[in-house]
Amino acid sequence: MKKILALLVASTALTTAIGVPAWSAMQAPGDGVRGQISALMERTGDSLPIVLASDDDDDDDHDGYRASGRYGHDDDDDDDCDDDDGDDDCRGSAANPAPAGTVAPPQNGLFGSGAAPQVRTN
Amino acid sequence: MKSLLATLALTTALTVPGLASARPVTLTTTLANYGGPGAYLALYVTDSSGAYVGSLWMAGGKSRYYEHLRDWYRATGGDTAQINGITGASVGSGRTLEISLDLSDALFDAGYTLHIDAAAEDMRDSPNEVAVPLTRAGAGTPVGGRRYIASFTYAM
Repeated sequence: MKKILALLVASTALTTAIGVPAWSAMQAPGDGVRGQISALMERTGDSLPIVLASDDDDDDDHDGYRASGRYGHDDDDDDDCDDDDGDDDCRGSAANPAPAGTVAPPQNGLFGSGAAPQVRTN
Repeated sequence: MKSLLATLALTTALTVPGLASARPVTLTTTLANYGGPGAYLALYVTDSSGAYVGSLWMAGGKSRYYEHLRDWYRATGGDTAQINGITGASVGSGRTLEISLDLSDALFDAGYTLHIDAAAEDMRDSPNEVAVPLTRAGAGTPVGGRRYIASFTYAM
């Protein structure tokens, strides 16, 4: 009985002597490769943004409509070229004409004077 | 005194032909109830050989749609300088556009033709929707269009 008790005490002491330093080494922050991986895993759960990459430009021009002689909005999400915003983002395309009343009519020989046309819509 | 009279006579002689060479003209375009969004209209003039002379009015302010006014665009290359100062809003279905212009008298009875190209969003283009010879006798006579324009009249 004494012999069994001595063996148990010896194995417990041995386990404690080997296991406690090993456990301490695993928990040490930033210590070695395991520490770095652990740090990365913790950061991903934190605040890394999700970035979706796609080659689809989401431009749904209906070329069939255009081919058949219709005009319409292209359903792209790019509003940089929207003329309603009053800015001049469309560097590559022709500028919109000056509205009536802001400049004189063109001198094309059709107009008898430089008077601006009067327009009414009912 | 004589020099003053001479000056008055000269200025009168120079002014009267100028007044006589221009006349107020009203262009009235009534759109059909085609049931779509506002139509773009290009009103322009060709000479007796069919060559483009100039534009009278553009209804619709976004140049990116002008290619759908096909005959006008072909003649001008979409040059917006042709319509600076004579551009307004597009015209809604069933509405009437009335434009009062001071036009050169030489346009009438001289072989000139007034054309209207029309287009509406997601609908078919309609080049040369209206083509009406500019004559004094034709003033006040309504002319029908093919697709978007119910009637067009010019009055002097």
